[in-house]
Amino acid sequence: MADAATSEPAVIGPTTAPDDVLRVEHLAKRFGPVTALRDVSLHLRKGEVLGLLGDNGAGKSTLIKIICGFQKQDSGSMFLHGQPYAPKSVDDARAKGIETVYQDLALIDELSVYHNLFLRREHVHRPLPFLANAQMKRGARKALDEIGINIPRIDVAVARLSGGQRQAIAVARTVNSDADILLLDEPLAAMGAKEGAMILDLVARLKAEGRVSIIMILHNYVHVLEACDRVSMIQDGRIALDKPTVETSVEELTEIVVEEYRRARLADQGRPGGR
Amino acid sequence: MASGPTESAHPGPGTERGDSTHQRGVPPGGGPAGERGVPPAGGDGEDPTRGRGVPPGGEEDGLLARVLTLREGSIIVVTLIVAIYFALNTSSFFTTSNFKTLLPYFAPFAILGAGEVFVMVLGEIDLSIGGTYLLAPYLFYKLATSGLPLVPAVLVGLIACMAVGLVNGFFIAIVGISSFVTTLGMLFTLEGLTLIISHGEPKSTPGAEVHVTTHNVEHVVNGHHIVLPETVNHIGTFAKIFGGGVYSELIWALVIVVVLQAVLTFTRWGLYTVSVGSNKLGAAEAGVRVRLVMIRNFILCAAAGGLVGILEAVRSGTVQPDTAGANEILFLGIAAAVIGGTLLAGGSGTVVGALIGALFLGILKDGLILQGVNANYLLFYTGLAIILAMTINVYVQRVRRGARSG
Repeated sequence: MADAATSEPAVIGPTTAPDDVLRVEHLAKRFGPVTALRDVSLHLRKGEVLGLLGDNGAGKSTLIKIICGFQKQDSGSMFLHGQPYAPKSVDDARAKGIETVYQDLALIDELSVYHNLFLRREHVHRPLPFLANAQMKRGARKALDEIGINIPRIDVAVARLSGGQRQAIAVARTVNSDADILLLDEPLAAMGAKEGAMILDLVARLKAEGRVSIIMILHNYVHVLEACDRVSMIQDGRIALDKPTVETSVEELTEIVVEEYRRARLADQGRPGGR
Repeated sequence: MASGPTESAHPGPGTERGDSTHQRGVPPGGGPAGERGVPPAGGDGEDPTRGRGVPPGGEEDGLLARVLTLREGSIIVVTLIVAIYFALNTSSFFTTSNFKTLLPYFAPFAILGAGEVFVMVLGEIDLSIGGTYLLAPYLFYKLATSGLPLVPAVLVGLIACMAVGLVNGFFIAIVGISSFVTTLGMLFTLEGLTLIISHGEPKSTPGAEVHVTTHNVEHVVNGHHIVLPETVNHIGTFAKIFGGGVYSELIWALVIVVVLQAVLTFTRWGLYTVSVGSNKLGAAEAGVRVRLVMIRNFILCAAAGGLVGILEAVRSGTVQPDTAGANEILFLGIAAAVIGGTLLAGGSGTVVGALIGALFLGILKDGLILQGVNANYLLFYTGLAIILAMTINVYVQRVRRGARSG
């Protein structure tokens, strides 16, 4: 029992493939006393859908926010298309072809659907920089139709929409861009079964087109096995598993998480005086 | 018809702003207009359509419904009610001369409110506009009397105010102090600074000197021709443009309100302002440069305060280190924005609403004076009326929401 308590979980070091579009090596990030990422390495191949798993607080969202330029890592490095990649801002990452759906969706409640869809990518007239609203409305309608989510009015504030519709808009904002890497942080969280299926269909369609590579955080392992080519699991700020989905199963993924929980509990009990 | 300049004078010290006798510091060219209580002279006759830019509510049901769907709809209705009340209860409310009297009661607050809207939509507040309002005319005075031409002196004064806004923005957006505290500190700092550099003494506004000329005007009385001298006051072009002209402040206010409303509604600047006020984290995640947006809006707001200070100094002819007056003007500017439908919580607001809110405050003050309300009661009634108006505002807004969702 003492053995189990002290043995470290397996940590997967940097892995690579020749057609990587993105490589992340030894990323670490602390927020004051909290360590979000200890040592995370992963890679994303061209046209691949990578499922990023891990329990709440494992550091998944932090990793996404570092890749998309919203936060900076304390140490570690990233490579985009083989070149060193250190985004200065979200805009910078976007300019390099990385778009993100955040867990909190980053929607502006007071703004209309189409303004949200085009936030930071607005169309404007020239020479006076007035917003080209008609153009954006058409673009928004087209983008939403492509996804297949039914949003009757695109000129209403997004505050008036349902959770699923809001999530669809956040996804549409990402897909409706020139990005070649999409980061989706729990894109199905607020969705009903039907809307979720639509998003997964969309991901499958994007994968079939082969133009974009996707990192997707999901909680439902069935969805992971259905939609992803490969899974990376973060545990306690480290990568604990990196496998093609065909080589794993819901049982294995579940077992890793449960094992981690047991180990943590035993470690706590093993400590003098407990926690 | 001989005429010639006979003297050049500054208005006396009795022309402080905010006085209840409604004397304009600089009488507009062409006659002693704007005197309260005196029935308008024949030529200046009554114009029954004056002030009817917006038709009274209830004239058309369709129109009323449409007005109510506007964000400014409720305050438009409330302002109309107040205007109609005073029109029915006083004989001289809908007159040209009263309209001219009304102008300085609302135009400055419309400009202040317009700047404040940009900060309040962010969910912040700027109390330091009282400070820039007070400081800018003194800087202008110092610069102009030390040899700088008038317009560059105004511009440098405004740039100094923008620097104040930049400092506000730095402490709020980057250091992370709340805007209320930062700008309160800045308000006291600037007011104190003004007292220091002015030694607490009022000064004559450069460029706002009044030139008095005497004309001999021929009158015909009972068939006899009589020539009588009449004095006419003139102010320079600079003063006419920067607040001294009768409609100068109104034109400034309208232009600023139209431009800033267009910026808020139709440009990325406005879109990002709403975004930051509605969801700061989300805006940042989407790539909006939140700090830049915040600093920019505080610069705009501070500049609005400084501009109003200079316009009012030129209008009244004196630069006054009156901190109490500045504080009242600051709060009336904020009140105009709030009454106009801009939420203190941020995310929503209209510049046109601030104009109408200022108009409401102006009509209220003017109407109460017309009704002969004792000067001591003025602030008391104004306060009650603001609360009443906001109550009506809330109810009308509920009707509006109902109309929208139904």
